[in-house]
Amino acid sequence: MANQLEIRNLHARIESGEEILKGVNLVVPKGEIHAVMGPNGSGKSTLAKIVAGDPSYEVTAGEILVDGQSVMEMEADERARHGLFLAFQYPVEVPGVTNANFLRLALQAKLGQDVSVMEFYGKLQKALQILEWDESILTRYLNDGFSGGEKKRNEILQLMVLEPTYAILDETDSGLDIDALKVVSKGVNAMRGPGFGAVLITHYQRLLNYITPDVVHVMVEGKIVTSGGPELALKLEEQGYEWVKGLAVAAG
Amino acid sequence: MELTSTLSRDLVLQVSSTLNEPDWLRAKRLLAWETFTKLPYPTPRTEEWKYTDITEVPFEELALELPVGQSLTREALPAEVKLRLEQAQLSGFAVFVGADLVYAELPEELSKQGVVLTSLHEALRTHPEQVEANLFKAVNWNDLVGAQASRRENSKIPALNAALFTHGVFLYIPKNVEFSKPIGVFKYLEGQVSGVAGRGSDALGKLSSSRTLIVGDVNSQGVYIEEYISPAKVPASVNTSSTELILAQGAKLRHAHIQTLGEGFYHFHRQRAHLDRDAALNDLVVDMGGSIVRAEVQSEMLGAGSYSEMLGLYFTSGTQHVDHYTLQHHVADHAYSDVLYKGAAKDGSRTVYAGLIKLEPGAQKTDAYQTNRNLLLSPEARSDSVPQLEIAANDVKCSHGSSTAPVDPMELFYLMSRGLPQHVGQQILVKAHLTDVLTRIPIEPLREHIEHIIEEKVRL
Repeated sequence: MANQLEIRNLHARIESGEEILKGVNLVVPKGEIHAVMGPNGSGKSTLAKIVAGDPSYEVTAGEILVDGQSVMEMEADERARHGLFLAFQYPVEVPGVTNANFLRLALQAKLGQDVSVMEFYGKLQKALQILEWDESILTRYLNDGFSGGEKKRNEILQLMVLEPTYAILDETDSGLDIDALKVVSKGVNAMRGPGFGAVLITHYQRLLNYITPDVVHVMVEGKIVTSGGPELALKLEEQGYEWVKGLAVAAG
Repeated sequence: MELTSTLSRDLVLQVSSTLNEPDWLRAKRLLAWETFTKLPYPTPRTEEWKYTDITEVPFEELALELPVGQSLTREALPAEVKLRLEQAQLSGFAVFVGADLVYAELPEELSKQGVVLTSLHEALRTHPEQVEANLFKAVNWNDLVGAQASRRENSKIPALNAALFTHGVFLYIPKNVEFSKPIGVFKYLEGQVSGVAGRGSDALGKLSSSRTLIVGDVNSQGVYIEEYISPAKVPASVNTSSTELILAQGAKLRHAHIQTLGEGFYHFHRQRAHLDRDAALNDLVVDMGGSIVRAEVQSEMLGAGSYSEMLGLYFTSGTQHVDHYTLQHHVADHAYSDVLYKGAAKDGSRTVYAGLIKLEPGAQKTDAYQTNRNLLLSPEARSDSVPQLEIAANDVKCSHGSSTAPVDPMELFYLMSRGLPQHVGQQILVKAHLTDVLTRIPIEPLREHIEHIIEEKVRL
């Protein structure tokens, strides 16, 4: 029970708006990679942001547990320091702080101590090599003027340097060409191991050709309606989402 | 009601005679004094002061800070100044404590070429013609441009400064002389009467008045940074400063006014550059300190092909109120001016920006731009922005724009989701907001100093 990310009966809405999550249940054991698929508007991205602590949503019921500990009372930065990471669907551009400085600040915040330049660059270089990226990216301002693909790749660079226990990748694949998709997948696969769990949120099966999930969940209208192995993703690819919408109605 | 004033015509005469001034200067002081006594103080009913209420400012309740003739060794300079000297990488520098020039240093390579860095009153003896020809040329008690001229109370505080200034800087850069390592001037204001019993809550502040006159001769080039420094907290004190930048044909000047006065200071600054043909100014005004601050920064494009970059940075916190006014006055043709003022406000602080681009009929082929952007870090903070254009020429390129917005919660969430505490995230976003101004400051030690101030202020 302790070694997992657990989302328990999560209900949430945009501040005093319509309910978007209607009782999400999801368990991701450490060491596994799960995919959450679903049609547009099913609440996948909302789920990702709420787990990371986005204050613009209001959780009305349920719990999120990291290794058995509730993170409901924690701000986003505390959750990050507890091992959660969100790769954003739309990473923010921040001029004025270089990628390297930002990463070092974040790593220091996470570890709660100074990180030596040697140690830091060691981590960076390893990650850059896997992501087939050169060092010039480090002196550019954070995401400033990056292409869509560069931004997504930068999210994975952050993931690899910060080494969270659980990561949620929110549509990291969308908008990527096939080469970028392969590189990003390489990064995630490099993270794979007994100390790391991940949720891949995606609309398309394509990503799962490169990162094989242990479990695939399907989310419709704010709920997980069915789960299965990788073959479920293929079925969705072939048959579309119509049939799972039926499941949502049946689940009521 | 208290009717007595600490200021008087006799005080004007006393200041002038204590400083051994020539007759022409005493006469000008008296003219300024007459103007001062005739005019009311500006109030929020004065269009240009709509958002800035100075009725609480004790202009006439404080003793004027007079020179006491002190000088100091470099070791004995105030700690705050010494710290800046270590960091600033200057060529020459001068330090004022109160109304006294206590220390000055100018490398021989500059003085040999005829560069002069001294107090205004020393310059009255050594370079009398230069001073007489240029003092009050750009900033005086009757210098209003545009619609302001019909509201003469806009001259009230500059008239006070002209009548009662007690000290000043004179910088002269001779024809064809160039230097690129900055000269720095530090005006250190103690903000209270030293050595007087009653320090603490009932201690009295002071009224300080100073001027800066910079004359860049034909095809000269120089860099000048002026910093206003005081203890972090002072009893209510007033500082007025006037800066005149007189740039002859082809002269280039990089000028910075950096104000980090403590809480309790009311700071009123008026600066104006006269730019002759092909002269170029890169100006930077940074207002970080003070309780109520008003800075008026003006460029007069008098010669064809003149150029004026005018950058502004401000970051307010607590109950600070900082008001900037810029004027780009294009008289001649083919001139270029670009105002970029950016600021951030946190807590319950307020910022005001008003700017005017005014093009006279002869100002054809002008390029003039004006941008003001404000970032609000709290729901109680407020920024008002009033850009204005007045164009009497028809073949010109002009644009202006302003915006005020709170911190984007998505941006802050992004940074916090990487483990950064909220104040660090805000710090990064304030810097990000100010980056396009910061990156236009090529003097690296100065940019680092400003970035450091920003970081400290976010944390507070």
